[in-house]
Amino acid sequence: MARLTPTGYLLPSIHSVPPFFTEQPNPTTQATLTEQWTRLILSYARHRRLFFIRIEDAETTGGDWDEVLRNEQINRRVMPAHLSSLLATLVAKNLAVYEPPKQTRSVLLFWRSPEEWGETLHEWATSTGQLNTILTFYEIEDPPVPSPLSGIPTALLRKAIASLSKTGRAQIIGAADGEGVRLFAGTGK
Amino acid sequence: MNRLGGVGYAAFDRQRESERSFASLSATLSQQQISALHTQLSTFRSSLAHFATTHRDRIKRDPEFRHTFQQMCTQIGVDPLAGPRRGGWWAELLGLGDWQHELGVQIVDVCVSTRARNGGLIEMQELVRMLSKLRGVSGGAVSEEDVVRSIKTLQPLGAGYEVLDVGGRKMVRSVTKELDQDQAVVLSLARDEGGRVVEDLLVQKAGWTRERARTALDNMLLRDGLCWLDEQDEICGTAYWVPSVMQWDE
Repeated sequence: MARLTPTGYLLPSIHSVPPFFTEQPNPTTQATLTEQWTRLILSYARHRRLFFIRIEDAETTGGDWDEVLRNEQINRRVMPAHLSSLLATLVAKNLAVYEPPKQTRSVLLFWRSPEEWGETLHEWATSTGQLNTILTFYEIEDPPVPSPLSGIPTALLRKAIASLSKTGRAQIIGAADGEGVRLFAGTGK
Repeated sequence: MNRLGGVGYAAFDRQRESERSFASLSATLSQQQISALHTQLSTFRSSLAHFATTHRDRIKRDPEFRHTFQQMCTQIGVDPLAGPRRGGWWAELLGLGDWQHELGVQIVDVCVSTRARNGGLIEMQELVRMLSKLRGVSGGAVSEEDVVRSIKTLQPLGAGYEVLDVGGRKMVRSVTKELDQDQAVVLSLARDEGGRVVEDLLVQKAGWTRERARTALDNMLLRDGLCWLDEQDEICGTAYWVPSVMQWDE
């Protein structure tokens, strides 16, 4: 049965099925279960605004992902090797990227695509009257008034800005105390 | 003495005469019977038509009522399912042929969409439950019997839809794969255990050798995708789970 976690996330009932926590030798079954896992990981990340998932999360307890990667009621957990192949699937489907690059133990999750983050950034800047001024990355990542972008990792912010630059609505500005961006009005078309 | 039938030529005439009158009498009688039959048939048709039109909605909505109606049809030798094309007036009247085909399409829908997780084998109860969910409240209830009937209408498609009896309970198979004897035993034991099967269980309860148990489980797991592997079983280390006898929502 579906179960509500302490953080208020509704786990799907397949999370209480013991073999869900084992990699399947049958390719069709494996594809189905992997699909369920990727959906679960992204939706939980969105629920808790988690941007990263790491192999360590399956190796140790006490992390942000315990509710999903473990089910104490049936005494099952996702093994590190299993998580590793789930991360590879997420990356292959463009739902995540290895971050930092050139390693495979940590991914940046796209529960919103970089393009969608770009739009979110543009809408926020427009509604708060910050178009045409220089915003530092820090001001975007940790604004005094919480925004939809609060806590966004720099790597993801960079991708969001890159997507806005393609339509001429953003320009990266080098500043002495770090980087900044100037956003311009536009429809994005 | 005046003998009946007499002798001579007159007797031939008389015999021929009586043969003729018997013949015409029999013709009249059959004619009467036929016309009586025609009247009966047309009365039957019109009352059946009346019945069908008055109760059409209820027949479609109420599985209990539909069952009784179908029993009545079987008794009088009428097939309410004769499809819309073959059935002529009476399938049109009732629309039951269409109803059945529509249910057939929904059965295919459920079977195909759950195939990835159950390997093409679904328990009847679960199928009925999912059908009812799919049809919503307005669709009316569906009974096991309706499903069995609809699956029969699917047969010409040759997709291999079949109702199986596994250990006294019905399952619907939607892949053209033979379910062998050993698999039937595994399924039946799995259901008693809430879906979990291990080699030991088959050795103990079915009296199989370990090799036979392993082969049956491996075939179900690797070849047919009918069960899932669990490598974290507390008791045996490795267990097999049969999703088609388990119940959960997506």
